[in-house]
Amino acid sequence: MSGEDVMPVFCAAHELASWDERHPQAAFAELAGQACPVRPDGTLVVAARGEMAEFLRHPAVRATDGVHYNLGGKRPLIPLDLDGAAHRKYRRLLDPLFTPKSITRLEPLIRSRTSALIDTFAEAGSADLMPSLCGPLPSYLFIDLLGLPVTDLPVFLDFKEAVVRPQGATEDEQQANMRAAGNRMYGYLAAVLDERRASVPRDDLIGGFLATEIDGQRLTDEEITDICYLLVIAGLDTVTSSLSCLLAWFAEHPAERHAVTADPGLLPRAIEELMRFESPVPLGHRWVTEDIEVCGRRFPAGSKVEVLWAAANADAAAFPDPFAVDFARRGNGHVGFAAGPHRCLGSNLARLELRLAIEEFHRRIPDYAITPGDQVVYTNYGVRAAVRLPVTFPVHPQDRTIASPAGA
Amino acid sequence: MRVIVDSSRCQGHALCVMNAPDLFDLDDAGHARVLADPVPDGLDTAARAAAGGCPEQAITARPRPAVPASPGGRA
Repeated sequence: MSGEDVMPVFCAAHELASWDERHPQAAFAELAGQACPVRPDGTLVVAARGEMAEFLRHPAVRATDGVHYNLGGKRPLIPLDLDGAAHRKYRRLLDPLFTPKSITRLEPLIRSRTSALIDTFAEAGSADLMPSLCGPLPSYLFIDLLGLPVTDLPVFLDFKEAVVRPQGATEDEQQANMRAAGNRMYGYLAAVLDERRASVPRDDLIGGFLATEIDGQRLTDEEITDICYLLVIAGLDTVTSSLSCLLAWFAEHPAERHAVTADPGLLPRAIEELMRFESPVPLGHRWVTEDIEVCGRRFPAGSKVEVLWAAANADAAAFPDPFAVDFARRGNGHVGFAAGPHRCLGSNLARLELRLAIEEFHRRIPDYAITPGDQVVYTNYGVRAAVRLPVTFPVHPQDRTIASPAGA
Repeated sequence: MRVIVDSSRCQGHALCVMNAPDLFDLDDAGHARVLADPVPDGLDTAARAAAGGCPEQAITARPRPAVPASPGGRA
């Protein structure tokens, strides 16, 4: 992940004079306050919190145009690129796998992976938390979840980087590079499924997909591939980015950090409020299949619409004093995990990973600050992340006695 | 006060459980389930927070209608 590349204009907020890479909230709030935001190229933008809820539930608002699929896919990604009955069919299968109850069993695994990563820098007194913790943690957990070998980690890291931040001077070039990376992932997943069908069933996500049935039918390799393809992207970069934003915020807000280290019970609400404020996944796109009117605004058939979750989360009409981070905010209805039928399938897993990673980090390293003379570097292209997160902290004697588990 | 979840709108954000843990839980698919309706005394504020904080506007919280007591009926 590099913050030095030339950043293509990626959303309407990026085009405003008020845009600030470190603090994008003001630009997003400006759009949420506009009556009918439109980009200079004519793209319609949905930014206000109230209009967004109505827009997303309209049956003529679709995830794709049936031609272009998200993230370099050559077929519709399951379930992101599906709508209506087909979408509901797969969500009925996938939703139960990611409820808070279903994922509780992952807690020891998440804690031990986090702890092993912290071991690698705890005695150094300083670290860049992006490459040393935020980047690798979700990838290890994802590999564990799918039951794949840790040696395959680079395959996933290369893929998600190519798809989330596609290289190329033009949109066509970027699309071509994404599709090339996508084809490599299709090949990899096909080989994994061949191998798994030929071996003893295992108790992991892929094992579950191989054994499950929808309406009496087993999933085909193509269906499992299209689910896993999306899970790779959705499970890796979003949690990496969110964790980096949250730790960067805590590094720069010691009073609030002390509050959550003194009472970890505050952390779940703190995470929700920071997901609102930071909105690490800033936007999604939707296609309109017929002429519709939502909240008095016309959306013509065929429109590709930019839906700005980050703007809705900074909408003063929905969130009084939106630039204040208030862990006790009443009725916090943020859309940091998107909204509508395509709301993030893995939100509860993301919440668990964020909470446990921050708890473990604070247990080991309760006092930390951005390294003097250095600074946090943010990117907002694709997703918002602290791509450089240099922190300094006192070394505690007890950390010297903790053995370093293998595999970190 | 009464609380109602419109299951056709609920998308499983789980924020109602966070905003009003005594009033909502999640079912096996991760969608909201009402635990206590009518709303017990002292939880009206939590009920309103959950309704106002639902990103899908799937929760209605409204005062209990003044229904005349009828034999065998619910007040």
